[in-house]
Amino acid sequence: MNVFTLGFVAAVLVALAPVLLAALGGALCARVGVFNIGLEGQMLLGCFTAVAVSASTGSALLGVVAAVGAGVLTALVLGIGSVRLRADPIVLAIGTNLLAVGLTGFLLRSILDTSGTYSSPDLAGLGRLGDTWVGSVPVLGDALASSSWVVVLSLLLVPALGFFLARHPAGLRLRGIGENPDAARSLGVNVGGYQLTAILVAGGLCGLAGAQLALGNVQLFSEQMTAGRGWVAVVAVMLGRGRPGLVLAASVVFGAAEAFGFRLQGLGLPQQATDAAPYVITLIALLLTSARWRRRPVAEPLPEPTAESSGGTR
Amino acid sequence: MATLAPDRGTGAAEKPLHRVARRAVTGAALPALLASFLVGALVLLSAGTNPLTGYQALFRGVLLDTNLPYLAAAFAPILGMAVSFAIPLRMGEFNLGGDGQLVLGGITAAAVAMAIPAWGLAGFALAAVAGAAAAGAWAALSVPLARFGRVPIIISTLLLGFPAVSFASYLARYPLTDKGTGIPQTPRLPDAMHLPALPASAYVNVGLLVAVLLFAAYWVVDARTGTGLELRTLGANLRFGEYVGIDVSRRTTGALAASGAIAGLTGALIVAGPPYRFIDGALVAPGYTFTGVTVALIASGRPAGLLAGALLFTALQVGGTGMERDVGIPRQLTAIIQASVVITFVLIVAVQAYRARTKAGAR
Amino acid sequence: MTDIRVRLAGITKRFGPVVANDDVDLELRAGEVHAVVGENGAGKSTLMSVLYGSVQPDSGRILARGTEVGFDSPRAAIAAGIGMVHQHFQLFESLSVTDNVIYGAEPTRRGLLDRRRARERVAALVEEYGSPLSPTAIVETLPMGLRQQVEILKALYRGADVLILDEPTAVLTPAETALLFASIRRLAERGTAVALVTHKLDEVMQVSDRVTVLRQGAVVASPATASTTPAALAHAMTGRDIEAATNDEPGPVGPAVLEVTDLRADPVRVDRLEVRAGEIVGIAGVAGNGQSELVRAVVGLRPASGTVRIAGVDVTRGDVRRRRAAGLAYVPEDRGAVGSARSLSIAENLAVGHLRRGWLNPAKVRAFAADLMRKHDVRGAGPEATVASLSGGNAQKVVLARELEHRAPLLVAENPTQGVDIGAIEYIHRELLAYRAAGHGVLLVSNELSELIALADRVHVMVDGRFVASVDRADLSEQRLGEAMTNATAPDAAVTTALVPPDQGASIAADGSADTTQDPAITEGRPDGDARA
Repeated sequence: MNVFTLGFVAAVLVALAPVLLAALGGALCARVGVFNIGLEGQMLLGCFTAVAVSASTGSALLGVVAAVGAGVLTALVLGIGSVRLRADPIVLAIGTNLLAVGLTGFLLRSILDTSGTYSSPDLAGLGRLGDTWVGSVPVLGDALASSSWVVVLSLLLVPALGFFLARHPAGLRLRGIGENPDAARSLGVNVGGYQLTAILVAGGLCGLAGAQLALGNVQLFSEQMTAGRGWVAVVAVMLGRGRPGLVLAASVVFGAAEAFGFRLQGLGLPQQATDAAPYVITLIALLLTSARWRRRPVAEPLPEPTAESSGGTR
Repeated sequence: MATLAPDRGTGAAEKPLHRVARRAVTGAALPALLASFLVGALVLLSAGTNPLTGYQALFRGVLLDTNLPYLAAAFAPILGMAVSFAIPLRMGEFNLGGDGQLVLGGITAAAVAMAIPAWGLAGFALAAVAGAAAAGAWAALSVPLARFGRVPIIISTLLLGFPAVSFASYLARYPLTDKGTGIPQTPRLPDAMHLPALPASAYVNVGLLVAVLLFAAYWVVDARTGTGLELRTLGANLRFGEYVGIDVSRRTTGALAASGAIAGLTGALIVAGPPYRFIDGALVAPGYTFTGVTVALIASGRPAGLLAGALLFTALQVGGTGMERDVGIPRQLTAIIQASVVITFVLIVAVQAYRARTKAGAR
Repeated sequence: MTDIRVRLAGITKRFGPVVANDDVDLELRAGEVHAVVGENGAGKSTLMSVLYGSVQPDSGRILARGTEVGFDSPRAAIAAGIGMVHQHFQLFESLSVTDNVIYGAEPTRRGLLDRRRARERVAALVEEYGSPLSPTAIVETLPMGLRQQVEILKALYRGADVLILDEPTAVLTPAETALLFASIRRLAERGTAVALVTHKLDEVMQVSDRVTVLRQGAVVASPATASTTPAALAHAMTGRDIEAATNDEPGPVGPAVLEVTDLRADPVRVDRLEVRAGEIVGIAGVAGNGQSELVRAVVGLRPASGTVRIAGVDVTRGDVRRRRAAGLAYVPEDRGAVGSARSLSIAENLAVGHLRRGWLNPAKVRAFAADLMRKHDVRGAGPEATVASLSGGNAQKVVLARELEHRAPLLVAENPTQGVDIGAIEYIHRELLAYRAAGHGVLLVSNELSELIALADRVHVMVDGRFVASVDRADLSEQRLGEAMTNATAPDAAVTTALVPPDQGASIAADGSADTTQDPAITEGRPDGDARA
């Protein structure tokens, strides 16, 4: 099995796109000082909404739009709760993640009349670029063969986010808030506003990620189909320290692991081993990079989660 | 102001019962519960169902006599998983690998039991201990990962949970499978290893007693031992704990190991009850971990709240099963309500704190 | 008649039962340096926060150039021409000087940052203000004095014609202080109204034109500087004559309770440090010269090379737990974030230090706590109350109570009276002296020279991580200590004798001054400061 075939690259791109989108949202939040672990739930709701709307309207685009909306709405709870009301962001995020599981399970049965997995011929997927003019472009066409336009969008967002952070006044203010919110506040910058906006944007990106997962990677909805991708995205943000380019690299690691896993299955390894592989690999990647950091002093660590930092468990 | 926070300014200690009662009345739990039922009603409406029908069926499901054994049977694992999540929570850490530890405990117990089928109940006790040990070790693995690899425990426990579930699934399908049934399950445990039922009902077994004992032990340790004080101190301020001389890494390892062990033990107890096998996916499907997490979060790990919350949410869960049977409303509604309680609870607590802050004149 | 830039009229602000500002009037005029003095907790910082818009007053008016304004946020205050240099710098350490200055008011071109114009404007300001700052330098690399200049530039960039400086000299060496005062006078000459918040009376006499004294939230006096004296100001500040606790009789000294050799913990390089039973050894220096790192290395909260012995036991490779077991007690600088668990009760905070093993009897714990609280004068609540509900002084007494109860041979105290009201300061000083009299050793690290002069038997002056001077009690004075700090930072003196090895027996010959009150002569006539300008 040749990992250097464009076919493999195509598989990696598709696999990494949902994680990348969620991670970019998470990175934006991290740079503005918010530790956002609600990515998983927002992605799952995005999956469901995309499938439900696409199946009922026959339009994948509407499904995508609805998914983004669902992500933003969910993020609103997390955003207002943690930024305006100063509620514990970790518990709140765990709550929304759990709510997403319950809500999608319920609506799957009550609205779509299915349990387990839902699929339908009315379901409009995102389509493969390989079937369009893009497919005939040399090299690039093969690499993007299995990808949808959302995948391309996700890749383009990487330099776009980097540019925004470096060159736009709002990007500078955002970075400052992440480093020292008190200083930003003392200069009249609306810290809460920036943080809330970042959380909402992340929600939208997670919704988009869900749409890609449910309409692009596959065309179906199954319960808990995100399978921890939102959490892998959190890890990708940590690995990349919130920098878009590094976050992309981390997402590639996950995407490659997943794509690799599918190949290994073809070779007769039990499905369970390849299911577990991406998570183990992600954990090892985090370990390796963290262990290396210890020799160099860390400049500004990303916010790390403990209940204590948000007021204790009493 | 005095009634809301009598522990500010008076020298006298507040009687524990008064404290519980006060917290119940002025706290956020009741309003959160009410708000969540509202959320549930909205969801039902959006699905085209009459909320009243649904809730009626829900309460009937709880109160029906014939459902009592189900209540008791579900209470044990829910309480177990709640205690499991609560222990690290007390010191400010989140063990999100509950499902993996639950399953690891179950499969280990099943595997050990298969190796010593003649040993009877004592043999299963050994198997259960083995299950607890395996799950405890798996959970404790995140401590060195945090210490030397700087991976937050909340992340590593979660990530490690997936391979654990996959591994148990593999074992149940291949090496340890009950050949001939074609179902991913281990062979049925010998009769001698079945947990004896409690005199009251055939469905409820001593697993319930074990769970309650575990909970009692947790309460005692939390409220009456130095270890409990140290855990709570670390939860309140980690740097303070380190400064004052608490052995942070030892306590963290102990908390995570205990958390995993209790989850593993719960898994073993489930396997020793009907249908007396480890069935791939069956330990995870009822959502005990989910419920346990929500209960512990709302109670902030406090023992009193844990018991009350477990009772309430067990009733909710069982009621949901009955509701689904009677009027066909998916029982995931109870999961929605549970998650909403967590969210609204946290929000209400925050609003209360916000009001207290602005009253004191802060920014 | 110079025009009044800003006028605060009848400002009142309460935080719960505490009245931080009580009907305060204040006028800031163009070209005038107006000092606002008072003890810790007198309401100075609150007043400035009201002026800057970070805090809303309960009643009163703010008038800018005659028109009434309401500052609901710093934005509004900035727009009204008010600039604030905070006591704790509000800087983005990983960003450049330019980015820090323009932050929040960035020049843009077609929506994006106009970096060229930003650099030009900042360079112009730097030139105009006469600062050695490089606009592209990263703030993290700058020393305190230069960081403060960035803070001032931030205000000037926004066109501030009213400048508030909140305890600006807390982190400056005497040389840097002189430079700052020169800048302040220059700004005043050009018409800026300057408000200087401080508790150091010598600075007030040096640089201000007018003084307003706050005591317990109210204005008690507002004279012109020329017509008053430090003694009169001190009297107005405290309202009484304080019988300060001082170390009068040197007691018997026992064996060493702390021996540090060849300690290296970047940036700390200490060859020898010793504390014996029955003495208080002080470490003097402006904040940021390695004192925190030294303390953390001694206490075991950070690794270091060299040797550390506590009560004769080699604990070099031990952590805090081992060192406490060997005989260490520690009062940290940050009582809120490190020294206590604010959300837990007083009883729990005390118990976790002493009753951590085995079973806990709640009644016993409560009795233990009540007893300690009585012994150490902790007021304001019962043992079940949370530490968060206590005032700064009482919270510090809880920390002290817990640590003293260990009766450990060595007590390390780090700025133990920071942010504490004067009554509690007295009490804490007396407790420390009593601890010493009981035959224990104390390592006292403090930014307050007066505190060290009052309590210490011997003081090491710390600059850039090293001891540059050791002064015995007999020769202790603010002038002597300040001199040691100044000499060490002068470039030409770095190579010569200022770096005196901290040999325990030697004492440096003073120039005869034993005056321990605020000495305005510290920075006069010192030519070495010019190298910085």
